[in-house]
Amino acid sequence: MTLSFFDQFMSPTLLGIPLIALALTLPWVLFPQPSTRWMNNRLLTLQNWFISRFTQQIFQPINLPGHKWALILTSLMLFLISLNMLGLLPYTFTPTTQLSLNMALAVPLWLATVIIGMRTQPTHALGHLLPEGTPTLLIPVLIIIETISLFIRPLALGVRLTANLTAGHLLIQLIATAAFVLLPIMPTTAILTSILLLLLTLLEVAVAMIQAYVFVLLLSLYLQENV
Amino acid sequence: MPQLNPSPWFLILVFSWIVFLTILPPKVLAHTFPNEPVSHSKQKPQTEPWNWPWH
Repeated sequence: MTLSFFDQFMSPTLLGIPLIALALTLPWVLFPQPSTRWMNNRLLTLQNWFISRFTQQIFQPINLPGHKWALILTSLMLFLISLNMLGLLPYTFTPTTQLSLNMALAVPLWLATVIIGMRTQPTHALGHLLPEGTPTLLIPVLIIIETISLFIRPLALGVRLTANLTAGHLLIQLIATAAFVLLPIMPTTAILTSILLLLLTLLEVAVAMIQAYVFVLLLSLYLQENV
Repeated sequence: MPQLNPSPWFLILVFSWIVFLTILPPKVLAHTFPNEPVSHSKQKPQTEPWNWPWH
């Protein structure tokens, strides 16, 4: 069987057991239960700080009824950022490269925001389909365009995360292969390629965090529109 | 592209939502924060002038 560079994204199985189950259950070991003491250890203190600051940042611009979403959006942030960051370690599998997982998260959450908007304030929610100050002749066209852009949102959310992470992992594999192959032939070029690989890995760390944040931020914006 | 292989799609959907709904929220909720947020009132508090009770 010829290997291609895309094989790293196949949902791995070992003797028929899907290993994505392990990739989805083991990261939460890194989030221990806080003790009842007044001061916890460094890890817990940092996680506590992150959770509280993140929740405050995301929900500051959102109206009060939207604050019910605090738990689910913070859990989503922890979910995505842990999976993304752990996937950058060697020999790990990143579940967020799977389009199925990202669409499974994006579509229901987006749909929930739309349904909330349509049920509680339908006029206000539908009003987003027509920007203020449109010339009268453009109204039909613009409503069609805005409806399309509304329905593309979940697709964009899921595919954005998938594509960013897949492309990053693919680039890492390509450049690492190049550095490895060049090592016996042109060592200097191999060293330069390794430096490039180091910089790329740093970029991927940033991308992992940013993409998780963008996913949750956009969902919070969709929530704010509808609440 | 192996991500487009539809066979584990439903399983991945179900499993990821199970993890997302059952494992993560208790971990997030377990974190408590010591200071309750205080709503700020717009008026400055009325203070009475006072002197150091030296003697």
